[in-house]
Amino acid sequence: MPGELPPAGATWPERRRRALADPVMRAAVAKSTRNLAAKKEAAFAAYPAGEAMRKRAVAARRSSLGHTDALLEELTRNVEARGGHVSRAAGPADVGRYVLDVARRRGVRRVVKSKSMATEEIALNEQLEAAGLHVRETDLGEYIIQLAGERPAHILVPASHKTRQQVRALFDEEAGRRAVNPPTGDTTPELTAFARRQLREDFLAADMGISGGNFLVAETGTLVLITNEGNGRMATSLPRVHIAVVGIDKIVATWMDLADLLQQPALSGTGQRLSTYTTFITGPRREGELDGPEEFHLLLLDNGRHELLGTEFEDVLSCIRCGACLNVCPVFRTIGGQAYGSMYSGPIGVVLTPLLGGLDRAPELPKSACALCYACGDACPMEIELPRHILALRRTEIERSMEPWTVRLTFELWGRFWANPAGFRLTGRMARLGQRAYLRDGRLKGAPGLVGGWTATRDAPPLARESFHEWWWRRRTSRADT
Amino acid sequence: MVRAQLFVTCMLDLFRPRAGVAAVQVLERRGVEVEFPGGQSCCGQFAYNAGHHRRAAAMARQLVRAFEDGATNGSPAERPPVIALSGSCAAMIKHEMPELLERDALQRRRTPATATRWRRRAEALADRVVELSEWLDRDDTPSPAGIETTCSAAGGSAPLKVASHTGCHMRRLLGVTEPPLRVLRRAGAEPIELMDAEQCCGFGGSFGLLEPDISAAMSDAKLVNLATARGDGATCLVSSDLGCLMQLGGRLSRRGDEFPMLYLAEVVDLADRDRLTPADIERAARSQEAMPDAR
Repeated sequence: MPGELPPAGATWPERRRRALADPVMRAAVAKSTRNLAAKKEAAFAAYPAGEAMRKRAVAARRSSLGHTDALLEELTRNVEARGGHVSRAAGPADVGRYVLDVARRRGVRRVVKSKSMATEEIALNEQLEAAGLHVRETDLGEYIIQLAGERPAHILVPASHKTRQQVRALFDEEAGRRAVNPPTGDTTPELTAFARRQLREDFLAADMGISGGNFLVAETGTLVLITNEGNGRMATSLPRVHIAVVGIDKIVATWMDLADLLQQPALSGTGQRLSTYTTFITGPRREGELDGPEEFHLLLLDNGRHELLGTEFEDVLSCIRCGACLNVCPVFRTIGGQAYGSMYSGPIGVVLTPLLGGLDRAPELPKSACALCYACGDACPMEIELPRHILALRRTEIERSMEPWTVRLTFELWGRFWANPAGFRLTGRMARLGQRAYLRDGRLKGAPGLVGGWTATRDAPPLARESFHEWWWRRRTSRADT
Repeated sequence: MVRAQLFVTCMLDLFRPRAGVAAVQVLERRGVEVEFPGGQSCCGQFAYNAGHHRRAAAMARQLVRAFEDGATNGSPAERPPVIALSGSCAAMIKHEMPELLERDALQRRRTPATATRWRRRAEALADRVVELSEWLDRDDTPSPAGIETTCSAAGGSAPLKVASHTGCHMRRLLGVTEPPLRVLRRAGAEPIELMDAEQCCGFGGSFGLLEPDISAAMSDAKLVNLATARGDGATCLVSSDLGCLMQLGGRLSRRGDEFPMLYLAEVVDLADRDRLTPADIERAARSQEAMPDAR
């Protein structure tokens, strides 16, 4: 079944305009992506065993994708054997219904969440808030964008487009709402101190914790969470009920596979050897244990994933959400994450958004948010062929005639003329005549049709008086004469 | 005498033929018998990257035929190398064309045998294609006849600084990053790589036409780094891809600024003629004539 993603909000031209008109955001994004990309390079350079481990991790991911159904069954048996509940969710509505059922049964009013792209994908917060629940994001970046009423602008560092000054303004407002002391300044320690104080209250008051999951280990039924702030551990152990919403693509067979995978999000995402907190959760609190929730629910989210298995796009399911492709992407650096109109931005977003939500939801992404520079393909630690997938999505759009007829006609005529040497030379001569209308000061300042896109922001040199073909021909004849 | 066929690319043919002329002269000085198969037009990359694979395949087939026709002397195994004057177009031939032609033949309901044949023909061309800087960088490339070393010809003065930009497809699909730098050094120039060198110039084929504002913003970021290189004494920007040069030069020109942008062969040609000076670079960059100054 195809999946369903929240709508993009504004139109593409509007999102693009807003992004390009925000120099503060663009500078912040350029700085943070350059920084993260350099840290990834340095991390691998300082870790000779890292490359072989990464290769094994790729093999582990690919192999688990070949046995997804069997592994999910094994996982389910093992989670249930340890007292957890497992349910399959086809899409957003299934998750919302399930979580609200549990919330009603257990009298839940306040929910804390640890960072999860899967719940962003199904707009879970909106669903729960509409039912009257209070939801608090507890990852610092997610907390910031929740206060700002935005979507994550980066898969890994959701608020990296915000400056400290902007964060302080958001915290000041929040302090007003909560009638507490605002941050004492806009240094990082002062801002995090404020967030920590507020979030502690939320953790202690919460009835339910919702998390995502970085990996699922089939052989023991274990949910793996990696975070840098410890909020994932609090959200999954303090409240009475823990619900994990995890994409079916996160499954791995064994702990041996996990051993190779565990460091990969940190190495490629932030350049750390390992994230600060690694949490393994196998079922709810057992008799005699002091910590942990009374109930543990694992919701296995499909939302368009299963359909990709066995297709040319299967490898996108091995994405570990490290954001390495975003950090090297020149388009992402230029427009930031929110212009993509999807929680998945950057190159992986260009591919995943139409694959999960349908090409009609984001037809602009493959053609307008990619310069085909291939940097993402090189950066991806899971060796996902992002450029090839973007090419395939562009081709699909053409095959489905999603292009305006004028553009189609341009390519049709142009292709026909240029597939023939005489036609090629003829169009050159015609263009040389036609260009006179657009020449100013020896530069082309305008052009008709598709090429007008070039001259909208760039000049072009005029076509040469004599093409190379013509020069070669003239030289050959003049030599033959002498 | 070494034979080689020249693939000049459509863009160079139409917009900067003098760069192709410079390449011919550079190669002939090194004892290469240059051939130019007249059936060539475009590798089809622009249409291919825009998703129009049917049209791209038609152009690609013509390119394959052109370099088969032009190489009638000798068996297929003895066909001469094809020197491509663009890293990006060379990458298109080497990385995309075989698969494209096979798939397209099947989609046009040709027999599997015909489709396989198209793949083989494209692979045979791909095997022959060498990007110019890579060819010039080969150890067995002879020194230019009558020119000892251009470095000494510069008379012991400090080498001329040139900013260097390597296109994304050349860098990542061909993996050719060092040869242009070595070729420039051997020509007596001192290449300066820009900061964030691996970032795209903003052209990106159909992307650059569909998204003029994003594309220009990407160029502007690159031009900030070029300004630094200019401040450090760079006399021009050199690249092995005319597309990047037209993008950056066009953007600069739109902003009312001019800076010499030269295709790699043009710099080597100037050095060969012992004219690698700021004034000659300026003149070469401004000239609209097909023919560079006489030898």
